[in-house]
Amino acid sequence: MVEEQELVTALQTEAEKESAFRELVMQYKERLYWQIRNMVLDHDDADDVLQNTFIKIFRNINSFKGDSKLHTWMYRIAANESITFLNKKAKRNNVSIENLKDNALRNLESDVYFEGDQLQLQFQKAIATLPDRQRLIFTMKYFEDHTFEELSEILETSVGGLKSSYHIAVKKITEFIKTQDETL
Amino acid sequence: MKENKNISGFKTPENYFEHFEERLFSKISEEKFPKSAGHTVPDGYFENMEDRVLKAVINSEKPTKVIPLFAKKYVGYAAAIAACLIIGFTVFNTKTDSSSLDSLQLAAIDTYIEDGNLNLDLYDLTTYIDDEDITDLNLDNHQFSETTLENYLLENVDAETLINEQ
Repeated sequence: MVEEQELVTALQTEAEKESAFRELVMQYKERLYWQIRNMVLDHDDADDVLQNTFIKIFRNINSFKGDSKLHTWMYRIAANESITFLNKKAKRNNVSIENLKDNALRNLESDVYFEGDQLQLQFQKAIATLPDRQRLIFTMKYFEDHTFEELSEILETSVGGLKSSYHIAVKKITEFIKTQDETL
Repeated sequence: MKENKNISGFKTPENYFEHFEERLFSKISEEKFPKSAGHTVPDGYFENMEDRVLKAVINSEKPTKVIPLFAKKYVGYAAAIAACLIIGFTVFNTKTDSSSLDSLQLAAIDTYIEDGNLNLDLYDLTTYIDDEDITDLNLDNHQFSETTLENYLLENVDAETLINEQ
């Protein structure tokens, strides 16, 4: 695997840009995909956002000054692209972001690319009740196992703030699942 | 409580014990959550993604063909009608109020931006602004009074965000 610094230098050199970009896509496609998918839920939407994320990375790589790590910068772009996508989609369909999430969850039940059981579906419903940023923090920590320190760099928020947000998210999810179980 | 006889020299991060229960109960709750999200991808989705992404990058950089709004033969008629309208407007409407025109335009621009039609995000913006532009920005720190700021924060920032950011 090519070291990150080498990759940045190659990406910013016109002659090597394309091959370096291929390497970059190869290294990060899956990690970025799952980060996005956990936010947008639908596979085709995740594919669109992933492509847009890579396009932004390619276009802006020359202005990347190395103030943060390359992968941190890419995760940040993917996070912003996911939230922007959801807002744009809600606006395009003329629905609120809550309605958009409800629709996505309803679609999940018949989605061929979702093979979760009832518990996983309920878990997804619980996650969808979180505000976007908290949802991002929760999914990135829980499913992708980022450390709070990494998340702090990616989302430009203090570690303390992130921890508190994460624990509130866990509490909300637990309460949601409990309420659902009681009503069943 | 019995005092420790010997001091080990170890320290804990600040407020470690204060938030211990919160972290512990969070961990216990988490144990009950499903381990995976349940999403899958189509077979072979990640294969050849490099080619697809590069193709998308190249396509996104191709200049888009501009289709003229009006066919050439109608331009003459349109210009004639526009000229008549302008002359008519100038002759019969001598009372003009430029300030209302300005405010109308500003209001229209405001609505346009508020409706989210100006789809510029941070990355698009940074491509238009260079370091020199940023230094040239003359930020007037006194344009908002303390009362205005306070009202804005009270109305627009929810308590949860503030607690989370602590």
